[in-house]
Amino acid sequence: MSQAAGPGGAGVLETEAALVARARAGDVDAFEQLAGAHADRLFALLVRLLGDRAEAEDVAQEVMLRAWRGISGFHGHSLFFTWLYRIAVNEANRSLDKSARRPAYTSIEAAAVQLPAAAREEPARRLEQTELREALSRALVRLPPDYRIAVVLHDVEGLSAPQAAEVAGCGEAAFKSRLHQARLRIRAAIGDDALINAGS
Amino acid sequence: MSKGVFMGLFRRADDHQWSQLHLSHYADGDLSARARRRLERHAEGCVDCGRGIRAMRALLRLIPAIEGREIVRAPAGIFDRVRSGGAGDADDGGGAPAEGT
Repeated sequence: MSQAAGPGGAGVLETEAALVARARAGDVDAFEQLAGAHADRLFALLVRLLGDRAEAEDVAQEVMLRAWRGISGFHGHSLFFTWLYRIAVNEANRSLDKSARRPAYTSIEAAAVQLPAAAREEPARRLEQTELREALSRALVRLPPDYRIAVVLHDVEGLSAPQAAEVAGCGEAAFKSRLHQARLRIRAAIGDDALINAGS
Repeated sequence: MSKGVFMGLFRRADDHQWSQLHLSHYADGDLSARARRRLERHAEGCVDCGRGIRAMRALLRLIPAIEGREIVRAPAGIFDRVRSGGAGDADDGGGAPAEGT
């Protein structure tokens, strides 16, 4: 089992192992307790990946159903939360595919075009925190899904690179490449002056 | 233009492009010592790359501070389909991933 603690923390691992065993034996209450400990953060992850709360609610239910149906295949070789997050990432991608709502990620510059006019003209003085938040959210949602997943898992959720790579279903080198590319695109979309001003 | 001056300009342009592509690696401490020295040496004389380093560092502080600050609660019915046994769901090829894949 991995040494790194996830959202549930290292102190719950033994309890988690007992709950996994009960859930694998068909105890739905144990499964709810097990997965429920991660439900808020899993839902937040889906909201950020999908950019739509209603869709995230639907997908979250699907994630829990698939996790419940697949719990017999979880043997504790990885942390439960990374396994659950991986299902969430897969389902988010499937949802984006189904709804053909993949953003126009080939033109990340469009995010800059849609920044508030004031932000473009006088970024160092005029970009307020709310505007920056909106600009950041827009830049995130315009990233290719794989890039967005990398930023959300690592920079927002705080997963380590190996954990995030496992959740994303790729190798660590590929994951880091996506993460660095994503950050460069966000930087280009928001602009250096706005970032420096807001971050100082 | 002498060959030495030309090569110097070429190397500077090459360093600039390379540095711009590795600002995130640098901010993460994800460069080898040699690569880090190359970027720092270039950034000392390059306004754009110096600003790029500050911007990237600011971005890494801002993303968790802005995106991660909202407290999101899972919906009450998140286990509804589990409880109902997934009635009416189509098997559309999804599923739980095998561990370690």
